[in-house]
Amino acid sequence: PVLPEGWTAEKDFKAVGEVSAATNRSIEPVGPHFLAHARRKRHRRTFSEDDRI
Amino acid sequence: MSDDESQSRVAIGISFGNSYSSIASTNNDGNTIVIANEDGDRQIPSMLSYVSGEEFHGQQAKSQLVRNPTNTVAYFRDFIGQDFKSIDPTPCSGSAHPKAGSDGATFNIKDTEEDSENTRTISEITTRHLKRLQTSASDYLGKGVNAAVITVPTNFTDKQKEALTASAKEAGIEVLQYIHEPVSAVLAYDARPDAKLSDKIVVVVDIGGIRTDVTVIASRGGLYSILATAHDYDVSGAQFDQALMDHFAKEFIKKHKTDPREDKRALAKLKLESEAVKKALSIGTNASFSVESLVSGIDFTSTINRTRFELIGNKYFASISRLALSAVEKAGLDPLDVSEIICSGGSSHTPKVARSLQSAFPEGIPVLAPATSPTSLNPSELAVRGAAIQASLISEFETEDIDQSTHPMVTAAPHLGKAIGILSISGDESSGVFRPLVEAHTPVPVRRTAQIAVPREGGDVLIKICEGVSQIKVSTPAPQPKAEKKDDEDEDSDEDDSEDEPEEVRERVWKAETVLSEAALRGVKKGAKVEVQLDVAADLSVRVTLRQVGDKGGKGLIGNIKGSAKENGHAS
Repeated sequence: PVLPEGWTAEKDFKAVGEVSAATNRSIEPVGPHFLAHARRKRHRRTFSEDDRI
Repeated sequence: MSDDESQSRVAIGISFGNSYSSIASTNNDGNTIVIANEDGDRQIPSMLSYVSGEEFHGQQAKSQLVRNPTNTVAYFRDFIGQDFKSIDPTPCSGSAHPKAGSDGATFNIKDTEEDSENTRTISEITTRHLKRLQTSASDYLGKGVNAAVITVPTNFTDKQKEALTASAKEAGIEVLQYIHEPVSAVLAYDARPDAKLSDKIVVVVDIGGIRTDVTVIASRGGLYSILATAHDYDVSGAQFDQALMDHFAKEFIKKHKTDPREDKRALAKLKLESEAVKKALSIGTNASFSVESLVSGIDFTSTINRTRFELIGNKYFASISRLALSAVEKAGLDPLDVSEIICSGGSSHTPKVARSLQSAFPEGIPVLAPATSPTSLNPSELAVRGAAIQASLISEFETEDIDQSTHPMVTAAPHLGKAIGILSISGDESSGVFRPLVEAHTPVPVRRTAQIAVPREGGDVLIKICEGVSQIKVSTPAPQPKAEKKDDEDEDSDEDDSEDEPEEVRERVWKAETVLSEAALRGVKKGAKVEVQLDVAADLSVRVTLRQVGDKGGKGLIGNIKGSAKENGHAS
């Protein structure tokens, strides 16, 4: 959509809401993508850190 | 492959079923091979039989069900690690009966040369079965197999797993990991080289010999979460066989005035041949049934075509579809939310099963079974293939690493309740079009990137990130002018055709809800595209990165939406 006239925000970004509640489930510990997830979680890495390794 | 000096691990995938087991291995090229045993079977009956001290396994043991039923052990997987009170011995009616032992089920069988019965525990039987599977795999691979990933049903308890681990250890097999049968099936499909990862809801219908399991799985970027499961012990391949048995028995009675089902041996023969007929009808449209000396020396031959079989088995096929639909409902989903249906298990070869699922679910949802999809994999091999793939992934890991990675601390993750996406076309939530970027049921942390088109004229653009929910829109199309009724009244009762009542059209639509953030991207070129990247962290904070595609110089725009929990430090 086109920016309405007079719309301003600090650094052009405005957070309005929050993500609604999540449900706790368990991921099936299977497959290459899970193993990558487990690696990130165990080493407390973020996606971008993981990408660089 | 470099073998570790201290202990070289050779791991395979094992699918251990009540009726059949299979073994598979992944070779150096990354291809998964389902291993045939020395009888040439890839689906190896989970049966053991003893004749004067000699052990028979698999198909050879299965043939002994006729002559030597009391020394043949079958359908025992679900007894492992169970109290005797909680097991259902019905499937064992044609083989050795389970007896109550101090620690679960036992079998009294003559398994030595002496003519005396020995009491063997369920764990001993399991060990012997696994040992035979291990031998077959070792012979094929030319090296001793000492580890495995084993598939189990989703309702297999920890106690059962412990018991199975102990039995496997006795057989010299280290169980690296237990994985759930339906998840293994999804992995088998996702591991194909041409498979594309996507966010989808998969329903796995696993029709086994004596049980049917339906599992609804959210597949999100290769991460699988089980949303709902349903188990049914009353409808399975055995009922398909039963339908055929009854059919042929009635035919036999008509000719010879005796019921072969009343004689134990005749019943066993009838059962074996009915299963063979069922399998033949999955491939051809006609099958012949023939048993030598069925009852009192009478040979019996007959034929049946597929249509007839589909007619007599229809109620079972329909109840499998109902089970699948109820599992979807249990997951809080609509059939329209389902992206694909995977048919697994030996009885999924029956064409009508897949077609009945296809018609029970909304049109266009692919049913991956041989009858409905030319690219489907063999349903009997799905679980074992997934296990072999998983085995190849983790066989190099230290046991401690595997345990830590599969620990609940790692597997437990918040899953998004609602989808997060972009509102396009209009800035107003009510009239805009919501495009999901991260679907509901996605575990966090997660990162998703998408490119969106901006208004044609370019300029300054407003980008709104919203939460959205999918809804089912029911609309009734304007009734079509009815064809004039003929004068002569048709007696046929099938009047309620779809022509008569206008059918409701149900479709899945997205509805934008809470706005999470607004951002302005200024001076966007004509016809350009904007790349939107969402990083949802474990604390539900969202990092939004906006960048004009092709705009190398500009760093783009980065904004953070605070999560409900404390904000995580992000390395940028």
